[in-house]
Amino acid sequence: MTKKIKLKISARLVKKRTRRGQGAGGKHCRFCVSLEQLSQLDYKNTALLRSFLTERGKILPARISGNCSRHQRYMGQEIKKARVMALLPYTTQNV
Amino acid sequence: MSQQPSPQFGLQRYEALMLTVPELTKDETVLIEKQIDEAVRKAAGSVISFERWGKYRLEYPVKKNDYGVYLLARFEVPKGSQALQDLQTMFAIKLNLIVMRHMVHALESPSLVYQRPKSLEEAPESGDGRGFLRDHRKIEGLISAVDATGRFTDSTDDLEDNEDLG
Repeated sequence: MTKKIKLKISARLVKKRTRRGQGAGGKHCRFCVSLEQLSQLDYKNTALLRSFLTERGKILPARISGNCSRHQRYMGQEIKKARVMALLPYTTQNV
Repeated sequence: MSQQPSPQFGLQRYEALMLTVPELTKDETVLIEKQIDEAVRKAAGSVISFERWGKYRLEYPVKKNDYGVYLLARFEVPKGSQALQDLQTMFAIKLNLIVMRHMVHALESPSLVYQRPKSLEEAPESGDGRGFLRDHRKIEGLISAVDATGRFTDSTDDLEDNEDLG
């Protein structure tokens, strides 16, 4: 039994190490990395903003979207502007 | 959509996005353009561009309209001028029946390039599949049948059940 448990733990650690070693690293805010992306972040660009919404139309949290707090706030403001103009949904109807 | 030079000293660039009724005629578009031009010229400014995006399916009904036409006007006026208040009044009173929603924003970046969603003329009913369902709902026997009054009913079996219940 003990052997099995040890094996499980070690396998998990190995996985973790390989994941780290693959260069995935931490999440980076895409708007901090690319100024071009930042210039496209606008309430009229619904294709980009839609990628930060859930199926229900909620704004994705920063821990999922990977944005820094500054750009998460800015992105949220742009989504809210687009919602006022009916370019993006506040919520979706029951499916 | 050309790269415009930076605004002159003391001038601030703005853009006004308007959501109008889907039955917007050419005359009405010209009327809105003229009204904006008038208000901006009165404040010693100039209109940079006036665009008609086209017809769109709205994400939620606005004033009981599922569709709407977007117009985008860009202009520059002196900072702190009366033009913005004039525009606000114009949208609220004069163009009340045509313009359903409007939004005026200051343009910070010198570039005038932007991206917008595709209108129904460019990409008819794409994406969500609602158009597909609506079109194919009318095919008899596939999803539902249309009775003599034109109402949609799920099937004849359901009707019989309802009668039994009643």
